[in-house]
Amino acid sequence: MRFPLVFPLLLAASLHAGTAAAATPTPAPENAQVYFIWPHDGTVINGGKFWVRMGLRNMGVAPKGTAMTHTGHHHLLIDTDLPPMTEPIPNDRNHLHFGAGETEARIELPPGTHTLQLLLGDKDHIPHAPPIMSKKITVTVR
Amino acid sequence: MRNLFPVAVAVAAILASGPAGSTDAPSNAYCYIGWPSDGAVLPAGKPFRVWFGLRNMGIAPKGVAFKNTGHHHLLIDADPPAAGQQIPSDRNHLHFGAGETETMLELPPGKHTLQLVMGDENHMVHTPPVVSRKITVTVR
Repeated sequence: MRFPLVFPLLLAASLHAGTAAAATPTPAPENAQVYFIWPHDGTVINGGKFWVRMGLRNMGVAPKGTAMTHTGHHHLLIDTDLPPMTEPIPNDRNHLHFGAGETEARIELPPGTHTLQLLLGDKDHIPHAPPIMSKKITVTVR
Repeated sequence: MRNLFPVAVAVAAILASGPAGSTDAPSNAYCYIGWPSDGAVLPAGKPFRVWFGLRNMGIAPKGVAFKNTGHHHLLIDADPPAAGQQIPSDRNHLHFGAGETETMLELPPGKHTLQLVMGDENHMVHTPPVVSRKITVTVR
């Protein structure tokens, strides 16, 4: 029965977000690194369905709402530039959130060229200071 | 006997929930060692990176109760405990309670087995257990 426990935690996190999060970004280790294990820059994907494997070094993964030092959760930016670094990362088709601590995701993209970039968010989906982001890679679907 | 049905469902749910105190995992959760590969030969005296793969489930640090999550434990030359059992913390059972998804490891020369097992917020093995295939590496 873990729902009753999770709910107050999330509630507390969101209340906290309203007051202080924007003013004090969550610190990240200087040597933290987020990167694509797969696909690689320039990968050609036939059919458009693929697993994205998200790598993180010198830092840990924690679900949204979890306040724990040196953790965050993955966000996958598709065909978009970086959002503002002091606000929650948007949640839409171009900004996929992995707030349940996922490290892999099944993605489907239409034929063409697409950019992918990873950006770590803190418990409130706000990038860390310094922001932990991957190189922006390009994949081609055909 | 219309109102007996919910009772039967509840009893069945309790019976199906496995050992007391263990956390349920998705039946399609898949844990694997992304690197090194089974049978890899690694140079002695040089740390190598072990990369943890997890699919259809998420990572949460120790002490964090969040549905369908757990954290990685790397077993070196050891077998995994059963569902609902606590994973020991020693040289053969490395805990990654800060939500890490990779590590650097150095092993003495010889053959070694590596295996990942997920633990819940209390380092207990899930029901069903989420374990990787056990691989063998040779350090020389």
